[in-house]
Amino acid sequence: MNNNVYKKICLSVAGICCMTAFNSHAANWLMLQGTEPESAADRVKVWGFIQAQYQHNNSESNSSGGYIPPKLIGPNLTNQDQFNVNRARIGVRGTGFPLDGKVNYFLLTEFGNNGITAVDGGTAHVTDASITLNQIPGARIRIGLFKTPGAEEGLQAIHVFDYINFTAVTNQMLLERFPNPGYSSNIAPITLPTTTPLSGFDKPVGAFRDVGIQVFDTFKQPGWEHSYAVMIGNGNGLNFGDNDDNKDLYLYWSSEAVEGGKGGRREGLKMFAWTQQGTRVLDNTNDSVANPVEFNRDRSGLGVKWLSKPFRITAEYMVGKGMIFVGPDKPSFYINDAAGAVAAGVGDGANGEANGYYLEGGYYIPNTKWEIDLRYDVYNRLSDDKAFPGGANAGKSFEMEFKNLTLGAQYHINKKTRINMEITDASAEAVDWAGGAGPNDNLDGVDQVYAVQVTHIF
Amino acid sequence: MKMTQLLFLVALSLIANFANAASDAKPFAEKYVVLQISDDDPFKQTLVLNVANNLIKHYGQDKVDVEIVAFGPGLRLMFKDNASKGRISGLVDNGVRFAACGNTISAMTKALGHPPEMNPSATVVPGGIVRIVDLVAEGYTLVKP
Repeated sequence: MNNNVYKKICLSVAGICCMTAFNSHAANWLMLQGTEPESAADRVKVWGFIQAQYQHNNSESNSSGGYIPPKLIGPNLTNQDQFNVNRARIGVRGTGFPLDGKVNYFLLTEFGNNGITAVDGGTAHVTDASITLNQIPGARIRIGLFKTPGAEEGLQAIHVFDYINFTAVTNQMLLERFPNPGYSSNIAPITLPTTTPLSGFDKPVGAFRDVGIQVFDTFKQPGWEHSYAVMIGNGNGLNFGDNDDNKDLYLYWSSEAVEGGKGGRREGLKMFAWTQQGTRVLDNTNDSVANPVEFNRDRSGLGVKWLSKPFRITAEYMVGKGMIFVGPDKPSFYINDAAGAVAAGVGDGANGEANGYYLEGGYYIPNTKWEIDLRYDVYNRLSDDKAFPGGANAGKSFEMEFKNLTLGAQYHINKKTRINMEITDASAEAVDWAGGAGPNDNLDGVDQVYAVQVTHIF
Repeated sequence: MKMTQLLFLVALSLIANFANAASDAKPFAEKYVVLQISDDDPFKQTLVLNVANNLIKHYGQDKVDVEIVAFGPGLRLMFKDNASKGRISGLVDNGVRFAACGNTISAMTKALGHPPEMNPSATVVPGGIVRIVDLVAEGYTLVKP
């Protein structure tokens, strides 16, 4: 046989085996991200992915020509139309001492332009750095920086996420923005063109990650798989250290009726529930004195995901209490005062509540490389907000409702490369206010977002 | 003894050994293959198991004699909790033999501080490379995927 032909055949076989090995790590996100196949892992497996995208936001300005974040393209929030390399991650994983397959590691670094890297002007940021000890049956231990056990949208591997943008509830309620050390005043809506960043944060977003220790494992029964995770973390996201003495507690459970397949797109019916409880320190007093106060931050959710090709359906409901990010109304009025509202007990994100849900489905068109996706999501922010007791705004709260309907399509060029296209029809309103009045002056113009993204995994 | 007689006796001895090995393993086998796994690349682990499976599928369980010999870093394939232990068990059920290098086990025992836990389906042989040489001498075809 010709040497070149032989080499190509060998490489092809090795490639198929590579994919098989990649997909056979385990069967759920806890195991896929936290463990390696025993006695069959690389000492150093280099891997990563690149996501390059184009987005156009069709939203209109407020009555003064100003724009707020939902009307702009993140993370820079300086325009409505841009190309971006939003994720460029490279990392290594494996088992450093191959003779002991019960110890493995995971290291990943972000070089793209997103909420992780853009806020502090950095060009790279470690997103994952963890070691897993698998010696105790039923109680694997993972320690370091890694994804916290929680909502499906946050816990799943982002490079196989079926959409380009997160749902409103995930983006606003779960993707944590950490308060600045001191009081930060509001940033008014900007007019375009601008070079002034709208983000007032000086730390990366939480990226659904924390530094801590997690005990977890998966138990298999015929046709079923049950997983749990208990984690204690700093509650400080990607920041390696802790900024207070409080620790976050994360609990997670999933049970899945396994139909077949392997890896991230394994087929089956998965039911899951999770909760996170923590405390944050926030200075929300508009003065020059450092007077931080502790606020609880609790999040919980439950959901179900069913994948049986060519169909996929996911639904998840989530609630949050405390440290509710309220930025998109007034850009950096995230958890702080706005025009004396907090003094009146109105618009109180620090103590507020929120809830939201999404329902999405996919259809893999048989015998083609195409997949159609449809998602509807609702986020009810400050759902228990107090109303102004008197004055011109009497009876009005800052409760807001965000609704998005997203139609998407995916074209799978190969198993590692795909194109996502999606159109999101977005709307937002402050429910107690008339159109054009109060917060709705900013929210009324929220409109469609068009996005195209190419993902390549290596 | 004449040279021709000597050659005849040597040939007779080889055939006897070969027949002995073959009859011990699979009496109706027509093909004899030894597969080598000696590096720690997990893809190679999958590949060598795929090759064994493909041989069984193509020739039939009784018509091909397959032995996988692991030595050096490749011995991880035959660790007790290897992720492919299910596949190994399936191949054993189809008559595939697994031979683990004793020399490698000794070296790994020093590195680990204790002997590695081996798959009970693996037979420990004094030396993996010696086993391969012996099998090749008996007429087995060596394949290193």
